[in-house]
Amino acid sequence: MPLIQIHDVSVRYTSPVLSGIDIEIEEGEFVCVLGQTGCGKSTLLRLILGSEKPASGRILVDGIEHHQPDRTRGYVPQKYSLFPDKTVLDNITFGPEVSEFNLFGRCTPRFYRRRRELRAQAFDYLRRIGLRAEDARKYPDQLSGGMQQRVAIAQALITRPQILLMDEAFSALDPGTRRDMQQLIRDLWQATGTTILFVTHNTREALRLGTRVIVLARESAGQGSRVMLDLPVPEPCHEHEIPRLIDRLETVQAVA
Amino acid sequence: MSFALIHAKPGRTWSTLLSWTLFAAGIAAYFYVSQARHRANPEDRVMPTVTQMVRGMYAAAMQPAEDDEQQVSGKFFSSMLWKDTKATSRRFFYSMILLFPAVLLGLHMGLFPYAGAFFLRFVLFFDKIVALSLLPILFIAFGIDELAKVMLIVIGVTPTIILDTFNLTRGVPAEQTVKAFTLGAGDFDVAYRVVLKQIAPRVLNSIRLNLKAVMLFLFAGEMIASTDGLAYRIALLRRHMGMDVIIPYVLWVALLLFLVDYGMRLLNRMLHPWFRES
Repeated sequence: MPLIQIHDVSVRYTSPVLSGIDIEIEEGEFVCVLGQTGCGKSTLLRLILGSEKPASGRILVDGIEHHQPDRTRGYVPQKYSLFPDKTVLDNITFGPEVSEFNLFGRCTPRFYRRRRELRAQAFDYLRRIGLRAEDARKYPDQLSGGMQQRVAIAQALITRPQILLMDEAFSALDPGTRRDMQQLIRDLWQATGTTILFVTHNTREALRLGTRVIVLARESAGQGSRVMLDLPVPEPCHEHEIPRLIDRLETVQAVA
Repeated sequence: MSFALIHAKPGRTWSTLLSWTLFAAGIAAYFYVSQARHRANPEDRVMPTVTQMVRGMYAAAMQPAEDDEQQVSGKFFSSMLWKDTKATSRRFFYSMILLFPAVLLGLHMGLFPYAGAFFLRFVLFFDKIVALSLLPILFIAFGIDELAKVMLIVIGVTPTIILDTFNLTRGVPAEQTVKAFTLGAGDFDVAYRVVLKQIAPRVLNSIRLNLKAVMLFLFAGEMIASTDGLAYRIALLRRHMGMDVIIPYVLWVALLLFLVDYGMRLLNRMLHPWFRES
């Protein structure tokens, strides 16, 4: 059974946003959702998160319909991805701490033992995402944009979600940092096997990252976006193949 | 004329000089007019001289209040000033404690849609009621004891704090709450460990900015129905034209409020080192 099943989903605000979306995503896939600004990519992500409801259709994650976000689906937004009042270390350990211990549980010796383990784990993640141990005590506003997104990824992955949903997570970064982050997320995906749904409007990024690229676009003004192309990306995707695929993806978007 | 430009950069000395100029001008103007009035009428009580004010303040700070004759003379802690400061501070402290439930209510209204729907319209309406117009009703309902004065402050200031906290809560980006849920947080974790912690420094600032309103309502209550307190004393001395004590009392109140404000700013910086005012 596919991990994510989206059946005939439509969303409408003042005008239609998504119309008749049908997508199935298998466990372990790295799917990039590509489309122009305002085509409903982020809406699709929020539907899978459960923070928004479709006007019609069903979304099942692991066979269950979710009505609010929970720890089965990790989330890395473009902005505001870290809690500004917590240090890097506390941001990373926040998830396991709140999900394993309630208010009273936090007063027990078991909490402090577990906290030590979690901190050790957090330092391991810091090393994997390329941050130094001394960065652990910094607050988010003392980090660069790229470092913040690295921490956000570690924060999401430490809770071991079934799916990681990333909403234009690298779009505010400079090209160099962006490339480093693309490599990092590819490596983490290969190491953890987490299913990743990555929303972007950058065709090259989608091809470099995904094992599959889904293009959302409107057929005509006033209509909701549909899946215009569902393209498996050859693994590994060689640099010389990218221009041909970009051509194909951009033609679909341009025609739409 | 570079000093009149937007891009002008006054140096440290200039900034310090400019910031004290109006104080110096105010004090100089007072002394000048006071001297002139005393030359015309040595018995003038409207603008006491510095010597008169020092003498008046010394008496207030070192002599017991008229109704406290068992107290020892010559000690600050038996003095009229100390007794009044203590009474006003006690009421002020109770009022500040009562602002915390207001913060929690604002937080819940901003986060939990049913709480928002239940309270918002009422608080918005309540905010428009002029608290001082309720004074007679409060004195009838709660008597002329402490409760009426504290209630006056609560009614006057809490709607502002509730609405401010509500707006601050609504201002926390949705990404933060969604993210917290995806990390396994429950509703109350999101409310108290994510949102409250993020808005806390701004709420503290909001309370700081409302300190003057708190004191205003407190003074109104004390002036009308009280037997002690700084405002009671000022009202009492007004009847005897005791400007030599009223003016130092007013300055004393301003100093106390300045110290509370400064203390709250330090506390905010200490509790929230991550917070930088934009």
